[in-house]
Amino acid sequence: MVSASARRPLAAGVLEAANSGFSPMKVLGIGIPLVYSLTFFAAPLLFLVVLGFWLVENFQVVPAFSLENYLDIAQHMFAQSNYALAIAQSLWLSLSTAFFAVLLCYPMVLAIVYVAPRSRHRLLLMLAVAPFWSSYVLRLFSWQILLANKGIINSGLAWAGFENLQFNLLYTQIATRIGLIHYLAPILIVVLYVTAANIDRDLIQAARDLGATRWQAFRRVILPMSRTGLLVSASFAAIVSFGDVLAGSLLGGGVGNSVLGSVPLFSTMIMTEYASSTNLPRTSALAMILVLVMVLMLAGGAALAERSKVDAG
Amino acid sequence: MNALSDIAPPPQVDLELRGIAKNFGDFVALEGVDLSIERGEFVAIMGPSGCGKTTLLRIVAGLESMSSGRLFLRGQDISALPVHKRSTRLVWQNFALFPHLDVRRNIAFGLTLGRHDKEAVKARVGEIAELVQLGQFLDRRVSQLSGGQKQRVAIARALVTEPEILLLDEPLSALDAHLRIRMQSEMKRLQQRLGLSFLYVTHNQSEAFSMADRVVVMNKGRIEQFGPPEEIYTRPKTHFVAEFVGSNNIFDGKVVDVQGGLIVVQCADAIISAASGERPPGKGSTVSLVVQADKVRSRPIGVAAENSLRAVLSGREFTGSQVIYYLETAGGGEVKMVAQEPFSQTERATINMAMQLYWSPADTVVLRPNIVPGKENMPGRRSYVALGT
Repeated sequence: MVSASARRPLAAGVLEAANSGFSPMKVLGIGIPLVYSLTFFAAPLLFLVVLGFWLVENFQVVPAFSLENYLDIAQHMFAQSNYALAIAQSLWLSLSTAFFAVLLCYPMVLAIVYVAPRSRHRLLLMLAVAPFWSSYVLRLFSWQILLANKGIINSGLAWAGFENLQFNLLYTQIATRIGLIHYLAPILIVVLYVTAANIDRDLIQAARDLGATRWQAFRRVILPMSRTGLLVSASFAAIVSFGDVLAGSLLGGGVGNSVLGSVPLFSTMIMTEYASSTNLPRTSALAMILVLVMVLMLAGGAALAERSKVDAG
Repeated sequence: MNALSDIAPPPQVDLELRGIAKNFGDFVALEGVDLSIERGEFVAIMGPSGCGKTTLLRIVAGLESMSSGRLFLRGQDISALPVHKRSTRLVWQNFALFPHLDVRRNIAFGLTLGRHDKEAVKARVGEIAELVQLGQFLDRRVSQLSGGQKQRVAIARALVTEPEILLLDEPLSALDAHLRIRMQSEMKRLQQRLGLSFLYVTHNQSEAFSMADRVVVMNKGRIEQFGPPEEIYTRPKTHFVAEFVGSNNIFDGKVVDVQGGLIVVQCADAIISAASGERPPGKGSTVSLVVQADKVRSRPIGVAAENSLRAVLSGREFTGSQVIYYLETAGGGEVKMVAQEPFSQTERATINMAMQLYWSPADTVVLRPNIVPGKENMPGRRSYVALGT
């Protein structure tokens, strides 16, 4: 490097440095996001990692480098607290929520993009995103009122004469999913809208011109070309659902009945364990496991999306 | 619908359009378009942007509905047939290839929609790919292809389904000039080999003239003229065609005399005579005279002759095979003259030189005012000067 640049005339070297090196705008453009993510993402995460190796002695947090927390958690994976089951429960909940969230949002987006006139897209998108501006907790409490055994839905049904048609929804995993989907839908709709709106209309018309019915044009062109967007939004929904505590505790009642039995969600378990033990290092270690699962989910989603990108050329 | 419009066209006609009209709200995109394309004919639709040519093509494809009119394809009324049931195929300006499929799957797309035999599809795709010289690119991704190769895929994808007519919407406009010329002759050869009718939309005059058997000139949603390229070029029927096609000079004036097979017209700058034709316009009527720029000649000042016009040279353009001279008349009108070679050495053309122009009355086309379309929408004269480019 040094010898190569030394051989070149000074002026050329200076010019090159100005082009490829550190212009003030470049420093600012890269620096600001870098500082931001270091401060608000990397540093707290690092703190969590470090904390996971610390210990509690005589109700005092003591800095250390010990794997005791992790070993203890490993021992309880399939016994007592049954973390593995809780993780499985959370995975089941988050993946199924992601599936239903995408299943609900994708047709809505298709309706906006392909059925509604172009001049109405912005309005419809605003309406779809509007719930996002109200508080998440407030929305969960509203769902409580709606879904309760004597809540609005059941009372409404009874009032309309369907006394026998009553739903036991509150404090079930279905209620948790409803709360999560309501929370996720605006974001998913925006992501999916961008995907669908970017599909060249000529391609759909070309498919129709070649003899494809509407359904075939969807199946053979729109759906495969939405694949990346579908995977991105699904992994986003799964990750958010996996880490969420509020929907699970306010609507799911903490312990959700599911195909896996009455097992709490992993995130709820972390919360309750911290509340009862106030053992911050051990909770950090648990949280690290949660983060690890999330990273794996993200990697899985990204790998699938990357594969579809290769397919798509 | 009257009885006449229900009669199916004769069997040698591939596509027949009858009274096609299309309105977008208040805007009239197409009006009373009648067109008949014979089996194996290459027809080019030419016109300025917004003239309705692409809308017309999309109506034939079934991608756009028409406000009124009827469409016949090989004798069958397809007016009400939805797009996917029509045996027309469109080749798109931007190719519209499926980016998520490789070349093979792109070409096979139309064959794999219904029940199909995989081996037969594979064989058919291979065959078509050979025809358009894509044999070794079948496993490539669309993004790995050059513009010309993409256009071949688009054509192969359409041809593989054995359409009854191929519709092409400015298929070469996305290619660079050099490739465009090569693809032109390739396309023409392909069309002749297949004996398939092509309906080809373009705004490019040389493209239309070099490939088409017959050319449609459209303006403001109407057909101005339909005929062989030579006829469109030498015998424009309307003021618009004269302005749009080639490099024409147009003089407006009043008929002052009709005698001996000639009409004499008083124009702003000169008295011009023209061959009167079978039904000469009466004395005193207003006409437009059209003279092709390559029919105009120059001679030394002072020699009296028919159809002579004094003008001052205001500019010249050397294009290689010919020279285009721009001249200004005393009245301020512009005259174009195209010469195959520059002036002789004794008389080098210099700017501001006064010249005497002349041409034969037989080369003067007379246009009557009743076939002059709305003047306010005619393109400016200077927009269409390039002859032979």
